[in-house]
Amino acid sequence: MVEKRISVFVIAEQGEGGIQPVSLQLIGKARQLADKLGSKVGALLLGQNLANVAQEVVEAGADLVFQGDSDSLVPYQAELYTEIIVTLMVEHRPEILLIGSTFMGRELAPLIAAKLEAGLTAHCIDLIINNEGILEQKIPAYGGMITIVCPEKRPQMATVANGVFPNPVLDSTRSGEIISMDVPEGFQLRAQTLEIVVEKSEGVSLESASVIVAGGAGAGDHDGWHQIAELADALNAGFGSTRPAVDAGWTELETMIGQSGKMVNPEVYIGVGLSGELQHMVGVVAAKIMIAINNDAKAPVFEQVDYGVVEDCRVFVPALVKTLKNNKAYAGRATHVN
Amino acid sequence: MIDFTFTEEQELFRKAAREFAETKIAPHVPTMEETNRGWDEVVKELAEAEMFAVTIPEEYGGLGMGYVARLIAIEEIARVSVATAMMYQVFGLGFEPFIKFGTEEQKKKYLPKFATGERLATVAVTEPSGGSDPKGCSTRYKKVKGSYTLNGRKCFITNSHIADAQVILAVDEGNPEAFTTFIVEKGMEGFKPTHEEHKVGMRGCNTGESEMKDVAVPAENVLGGEGKGLKVAMAAIGDVGRGGMVGCALGLQQACLDASVKFSNERILYGKPISNLQTIQNKIAEMKIDLEAGRLLGYRAAAMQEKGGRTSNEFAVAKYFTTEAVQKAAKMAVDIHGGYGCMEEFPVTRYLRDSFVVGPSAGTSDIMKVIIARWALS
Amino acid sequence: MLNLVVCVKAVPAPSIAAKLKIDPATKSLPRLDIPLVINPLDNHALEAALQLKKKSGAHITVICMGPPPAGNIVRECLALGADKGILLTDSAFAGADAYATAYTLAKAIEKNGSVDVVFCGMASSDGATEWVGPEIAIFLNMPVVTMVREIVEDQGDEWIVKADFEHGYRKVKLKLPAVITVTRNLNQPKPLSFSGILKARSKEITEWNHEKLGIPVERIGLKGSPTYVTEMAHLESRRKVEMLEGTLQEKVERLVQILSDVGVV
Repeated sequence: MVEKRISVFVIAEQGEGGIQPVSLQLIGKARQLADKLGSKVGALLLGQNLANVAQEVVEAGADLVFQGDSDSLVPYQAELYTEIIVTLMVEHRPEILLIGSTFMGRELAPLIAAKLEAGLTAHCIDLIINNEGILEQKIPAYGGMITIVCPEKRPQMATVANGVFPNPVLDSTRSGEIISMDVPEGFQLRAQTLEIVVEKSEGVSLESASVIVAGGAGAGDHDGWHQIAELADALNAGFGSTRPAVDAGWTELETMIGQSGKMVNPEVYIGVGLSGELQHMVGVVAAKIMIAINNDAKAPVFEQVDYGVVEDCRVFVPALVKTLKNNKAYAGRATHVN
Repeated sequence: MIDFTFTEEQELFRKAAREFAETKIAPHVPTMEETNRGWDEVVKELAEAEMFAVTIPEEYGGLGMGYVARLIAIEEIARVSVATAMMYQVFGLGFEPFIKFGTEEQKKKYLPKFATGERLATVAVTEPSGGSDPKGCSTRYKKVKGSYTLNGRKCFITNSHIADAQVILAVDEGNPEAFTTFIVEKGMEGFKPTHEEHKVGMRGCNTGESEMKDVAVPAENVLGGEGKGLKVAMAAIGDVGRGGMVGCALGLQQACLDASVKFSNERILYGKPISNLQTIQNKIAEMKIDLEAGRLLGYRAAAMQEKGGRTSNEFAVAKYFTTEAVQKAAKMAVDIHGGYGCMEEFPVTRYLRDSFVVGPSAGTSDIMKVIIARWALS
Repeated sequence: MLNLVVCVKAVPAPSIAAKLKIDPATKSLPRLDIPLVINPLDNHALEAALQLKKKSGAHITVICMGPPPAGNIVRECLALGADKGILLTDSAFAGADAYATAYTLAKAIEKNGSVDVVFCGMASSDGATEWVGPEIAIFLNMPVVTMVREIVEDQGDEWIVKADFEHGYRKVKLKLPAVITVTRNLNQPKPLSFSGILKARSKEITEWNHEKLGIPVERIGLKGSPTYVTEMAHLESRRKVEMLEGTLQEKVERLVQILSDVGVV
């Protein structure tokens, strides 16, 4: 039997909540890519108490799972993680290295790429091995899609957001090797994470919402923004935004949907006062019904949705909210009368 | 050959002025429109942004940036608020006699405080008996033992109620050919602002009347020398006053054009934006042509002014052209908006009202023509 | 006195650049004359340096890699309060990906002299990779913290910063010299002032090409980029839109009907 090499590596991230969904999604994708190359999938886990997690990674499609289990790896330390990952990459020389674009991933990926002199692509929404065996990295830009390649340098690195690739089906019959790694002792950190603090967030989580209302520049001002918030409220929807709304200060970066923000999977998406920028629209991965409200009939958003309303959102949205509230009240009364 | 481009520094200056107008002045416009008040707030913003220091020489606490910079600043402010731009330009008009004709003591006493906005200025020439004919002014002075007593009324004066120092033109009681400009200050006995005007446009711009009843003005408050009053007043109004109106008109014209472009691109009739219709395009082209021409006239005059020459004639042409053009542009903008052009939520209605006031300020169009004819015929 | 460097990118004005679309016929970008502005997040990076200068005294050098018109951006930074400007301009820099860009900037920072902190915006409004700041850190052999939202302790050569992290933030102790990439929330940049514009008259802008930097052409621009764009494609939409008609209220009613049919209301 020919020993297949590890062609595709995934830096998997985990924490108290278990393994990050994006890491599993990337393992699933890595499996697909490795199968096309006729090779293996490797994954790396760094942290503490990793026993349960490694198995899940194997079931998602990894052939080898490298584990660094040590208290020096918690919390995340950029320089130590980089050192370990770079050493592993130099040893195994994979073709491809994938990292989820989590906060940690977005810092680690460039550090690794610079050390390895590798090419790194951000915001990938698709990865394809072409006929020359090269990884084509697709990213949305300029109202369309551009393809990026890294023909010579290795590994070919890419970061991918949560929700771009589907959650893999876990196969409990899969077997894989779990390898414990030595973690360097007494590593001197010049940037040391002292603690990680979790902050409370409010509202319907965008990632899990089945209905999402997204607001854009058309809101005009805080009052207009508030009107759209009321619509989200009336529909019990997640309330997302586009970059212009964040830049205007009406909402926080965490609510931004799009290439540099969140990828979402609602059943119903309603874009209000936004033009339909591809950088935003690509964040709405696969909604059943998409609706747009915008006062500019020429707005690109109307080419990307199922239903369009050309109206000033500042007039339309309050009218819509009023009707929704009336219907709710009326429906309540009707059942009561009966 | 002439270089018609702005320098890198002037472009930066325009950027700073535009950001200032959009972030610091725009929020005050609704209050100014509704209440015809709010000038304290915008004056404060102008001071903080170093706007008052633009034409005041560095040695007296200013930035000495020159007249082209001044025109850029006025244009950018007017695009957002003509009322603010008008007050601002008249403050500058008020400083000008000090800069050009003040004694060293007067410059040292007044200019530094003007530069920081601590003290405000204006020029008062117009009277009920006419502004177009300054010689017809009946505010008179009598020399009394080395000081002067002033009596009279000035009207349609911008910043009348908020200026700390007014440069007032008066005629010698004993000699109808002798005119003198005096620095009359808030607090002087007998001097007080009286009636406040309610203008149809430029709301929030302070305009009113002041009255002088036996005001005792000390000799050191004569500005430019006894008997030299007409020269002082006309130099200031002719160059700086008219130049300021050019700025107000250009900024307002740009606002009319921007609003018209936006509306005509968004308004759909017959399945297409109305900007596709030739009749709308005609109006927009006219606005654009006038704006290009007006800019050239205005900045040409300002550049000459900066070199140090007298530019009252060039500014008369620019003032006539731009203020007439903006009145046309505002009407066209309203027409393009159709029914919406009558609704107060749409800024074009304000532009139309503002355009009425821009016309007669600093000299009517008819007077401009008289001056220009005189220039051509000489 | 602290030596600070701020890396600034000249980007096409975001509001206008947003309209740039791949032409479906030519499969390339149309040539549009879009004015260049300072990358918005770099304004926050510069502001952080300016605040530090005000507080503890510092010399601020702004470095920008771009075509000749980017010189205006450098001048604007000087008008905002930076002390010196360096424009890295060379046709050979064209086509650089994040790696080649970071390498070039790092070489310029080295050539400029000793530095205590390098400030970068966390991402540019056009490329938006977030890679350049951290890669500069590797090339300079410095530690880096990305997405800094607050500088808690900035005295001495050991700083404490807060950086955005999953569901919250992390607190990091950082030994200088270091690279910091900043978020919008770090500060509120002050607007251009007229006196600042005047003061910039006497400040120096130096231009360096790759020869002045002593870098071989193989390491810069497209040649020095591990990645490059091979294809631009127009995305066809799978959806066919139905535009709702009628009066405002009629459209409201129809939309409510649609939402009801899907089960949302």
